[in-house]
Amino acid sequence: MNKKTAYILFFFLLMNSCTEKVDVALDNTYTRLVVDGDISPDTAEYCIKLTKTADYFFNEPVPPVTNARVFLSDGETIIPLSETDSGISGIYATKPTFAGKPDRDYTLHINLSEEISGKSNFDATCKLNHVTPLDSIRAVFEPDWGSEGIWKIQLWAQEPGDEVNYYLFNLYRNGNLITDTITKKVVADDKFYNGSYMNGIDVLYLNNAHKWETIYPGDTITLQMSGITEEYYNFIMQVQQSGFSIPFFSGPPANVKGNISNGGVGFFAAYSNTFAKALVR
Amino acid sequence: MIKANYILLLFFSLFVFSVFGCPAGGGKRYTISGKITDKNNGEALVGATIFIRELKTGGVSDLYGNYSLTLSEGDYTLVFSYIGYATREISIVLTSSISLPVELSPHQQQLNEIEVTSEKNDRNVVKPEMSAFRMDIKTIQKIPALMGEVDIIKAIQLLPGVQSVGEGSSGFSVRGGAPDQNLILLDEATVYNASHLMGFFSVFNNDAIRDVKLYKGDIPANYGGRLASVLDIRMNEGNSKKYEINGGIGIIASRLTIEGPIVKGRSSFIVSGRRTYADLFLPLSSNKALQNNKLYFYDFNAKINYRINDNNQIFLSGYFGRDVFRNNFARMNWGNETATFRWNHLFTKQLFSTFSFIYGNYRYFIGTPTGNNNSFEWSSNLRDLGIKGDFSYYLNTNNTVRFGAAATYHMFYPGKAQGIGDQTVVTEVKVPNNYAFESGIYGNNEQRIGDHVTLKYGLRLSMFQSVGPGTIFHFDSSYTAIDSSVYRAGIVYNTYLGWEPRLGLLYDFNTHHSVKASYSRTYQYLQLAQNSTVGTPLDIWFAASPNVKPQIADQVAMGYFRNFRHNTIETSVEVYYKWMNHVIDFKDFANLILNNKLEGEIRSGKGWSYGIEFLIRLNEEKINGWVSYTWSRAFRQINEINNGDPYPAPFDKPNNISVVLNYIISPRWSIGATWVYATGAPVTFPTGRAEIGGKIVPIYSDRNQYRYQDYHRLDLSVTFSGKQKPGRKFNWDLNFSVYNVYNRHNTWSINFMQDNENPNVTYAEKIYLFGIVPSVTFNFHFNNE
Repeated sequence: MNKKTAYILFFFLLMNSCTEKVDVALDNTYTRLVVDGDISPDTAEYCIKLTKTADYFFNEPVPPVTNARVFLSDGETIIPLSETDSGISGIYATKPTFAGKPDRDYTLHINLSEEISGKSNFDATCKLNHVTPLDSIRAVFEPDWGSEGIWKIQLWAQEPGDEVNYYLFNLYRNGNLITDTITKKVVADDKFYNGSYMNGIDVLYLNNAHKWETIYPGDTITLQMSGITEEYYNFIMQVQQSGFSIPFFSGPPANVKGNISNGGVGFFAAYSNTFAKALVR
Repeated sequence: MIKANYILLLFFSLFVFSVFGCPAGGGKRYTISGKITDKNNGEALVGATIFIRELKTGGVSDLYGNYSLTLSEGDYTLVFSYIGYATREISIVLTSSISLPVELSPHQQQLNEIEVTSEKNDRNVVKPEMSAFRMDIKTIQKIPALMGEVDIIKAIQLLPGVQSVGEGSSGFSVRGGAPDQNLILLDEATVYNASHLMGFFSVFNNDAIRDVKLYKGDIPANYGGRLASVLDIRMNEGNSKKYEINGGIGIIASRLTIEGPIVKGRSSFIVSGRRTYADLFLPLSSNKALQNNKLYFYDFNAKINYRINDNNQIFLSGYFGRDVFRNNFARMNWGNETATFRWNHLFTKQLFSTFSFIYGNYRYFIGTPTGNNNSFEWSSNLRDLGIKGDFSYYLNTNNTVRFGAAATYHMFYPGKAQGIGDQTVVTEVKVPNNYAFESGIYGNNEQRIGDHVTLKYGLRLSMFQSVGPGTIFHFDSSYTAIDSSVYRAGIVYNTYLGWEPRLGLLYDFNTHHSVKASYSRTYQYLQLAQNSTVGTPLDIWFAASPNVKPQIADQVAMGYFRNFRHNTIETSVEVYYKWMNHVIDFKDFANLILNNKLEGEIRSGKGWSYGIEFLIRLNEEKINGWVSYTWSRAFRQINEINNGDPYPAPFDKPNNISVVLNYIISPRWSIGATWVYATGAPVTFPTGRAEIGGKIVPIYSDRNQYRYQDYHRLDLSVTFSGKQKPGRKFNWDLNFSVYNVYNRHNTWSINFMQDNENPNVTYAEKIYLFGIVPSVTFNFHFNNE
């Protein structure tokens, strides 16, 4: 919220600046394992994607890590994950009947068939946080913002005052995920709202000029609010900022800090979800 | 215990100096003293030289124009000189101590011409002072400026050993230091944030400023509190003889200054104001979002002085400046206020003193309109109350002793955000206030030994005390807060002491060339929580504390100084090496805003920098300016950053060239040119990619292993003046300037972007701020004589 205000000012000052594509000669670095996946208490098949890092200007899909042995443990039982297209996809899935249990620590164990830069065993642990229920949501159109207007998604919910909470928001339009990449997702902490009743706070903005990710009257929208860990909140913030540097407020670039052991990159996340629907008018 | 030692030391130091400073010869000795002023407007001339022909030695006037010479009985010829003024010779028969005020007349030729001086301007060779650079405002006004707004800080960035932190920024790095390691003083008050409009303009209105001096090293003992430099800016005192109005109308701002006598010859005033008006044109913009924006800054300087008698003069000066931004969603303002009251008192003809009372405040405010559920306001400020006493004792022609003491009470209100209005659900977030007491005592003697050697030796003892009420968090080895201590009001819960020796040596072969060496140690107890390169107005200064050790720097420098052509060409070469301890950096992705556990985000370690600076400065009749080349490096090494390996400091730009020249074509036409070149700033670039959630996330190199493209830029200006005749009341000039003449797209930053069409494709995109920027400014001057 505060940041947003500051950004408006800085954006204004940058109006007169210009950008141009440039060629930059970059070096190579050693290959790392990348883990990307999550689980929730909602019964479903959950996927963990294993890939390798590549040169920055590789400009092709990153290579998958196939034939790994992947297990998920909740401290009591260990279940295996199986590669969806064995030896090809690098995507490891639970059974469709899987459902995580709130307030447990989940650990992902990865054992590679071929070493990556001399390493073959990786772990990642994440607590599956609970989440407070959403009361309702609403979509409001601001015709004067931006060139073609902005849709604001607002929510009503009680923020619990007795704990520090971090949230992840996703939006669906008629059942299809609009926030389909990590950069479009919204994360928030409760620093300024701890214990307040959220009476229509803006959580998400849709630029009506981006026709592929806006909404129309008559659509049904669904807001998904997830209770995430502080570590995952920081990870998403870092991923969203990475690659971008504005000398006014960006610190020195640094590698995003995930939860994969042994030098792996990425995050294995666990969180609970709550949903609310609304009809766009 | 500490306090007792402190006072003992003061007496001890005075004792030492008085022993060292014993008169060298026998015979009766008398003092000649007085004030050197401008004949036309009565302003004190700072750094005017006094040369005693018979002794081939002399002195220099102090910051208030005062001088004092103690000599044996006899006949002397005194030669008074100052840049741009006609030299005066006065013969005296010294049989008793006398008061000798001297008025010097500016050369009568061109109004805004920098004059060639007299033969005796060899100050840069014969004074035991190095790594310093003084500029008067007339020099600065001739440098081509961005959008025509003459800017002191931008001029400072053109000096050897000084780097700009970014295109158009008011931040600067001196000899590898951080921008917050510069002490910026406006009439003795600390200016915590010298930027307007995100740094594109500095807070100093050139019409209100008299001169500027930068110390890059060899920092005199009377200054303390920052590692890298002191930028001492003095406001005009106002014409004590006649009324004058000066002003300027530029494309983004206008200025107006009025000055004149209150009581002729005894008291004068100056008031000066400036405001930008770029935002007045915003309603004409075709962009709807911009039409309701307000964005401007203004500042206001005022000063009065009153000469009670020959021995007492008082000054009151103040500055008030604000940046204001407002639109439908947000309002923001920030700025500095300073006030200084000074009393100059001459105890005897040899003992001069200045007592200062200083107030400073930097504050900012951000808020939204009320009536929304997320309406809030957020404010922060840092306030200083200070007192200082500085003494100069002109013991004899061979010894000048300076000593004094200073104390400042710092009040930190780091930030409070809260909801406003009935609708809001925003809760209060507050970082606790804290308080500190910073003090220092110092003594310094400048001693001439024999015909060729001058020594300068001094010591500053600084002390920094954290004063309750305060809350200090205790951190474990992984910087997680485990518990906290709360201190009651008035309790001193932490004390740091710093011994800061300042030494200098001069050997002059003759008045044309000399070698100099210096050593200085400096302590810094306040620093800025900022990990971006350029910074925003949302400054958070934090103090040394049980968790944050003071930063310490040791610098050695040596130089060779040589003047040519009757001192109209000054040249110098200086080498330096600087070691820094407990320098501050921040952990990756540090959270510095409204964080009450800020100290847990800090990582500290060591730094070092070294370099060589070549300077040629011209003061010829037709042409003036300077050409400099600097080669320098700067590094940091901090345990938790970059795996503990050394990395180039953010402003490590090894090669630097500055060419600043003004050429007077005719009495009515002059041109100015500036060319700067700097190696590209170090930067961290990606060396690999990981795909996470549909985004290509960079895997970075070690810190600062790459560089931006080299920076260079040419600026030009042409000034055309109205006809000038003696006695003419109204004068004007028109200045055309062009920033970045050959339209180079210098890198401000490089971002790594993902292609919208094919998300597997990434590319690098450069942001540059300014192409070619022409501007025009009309300046006028009116006086009632």
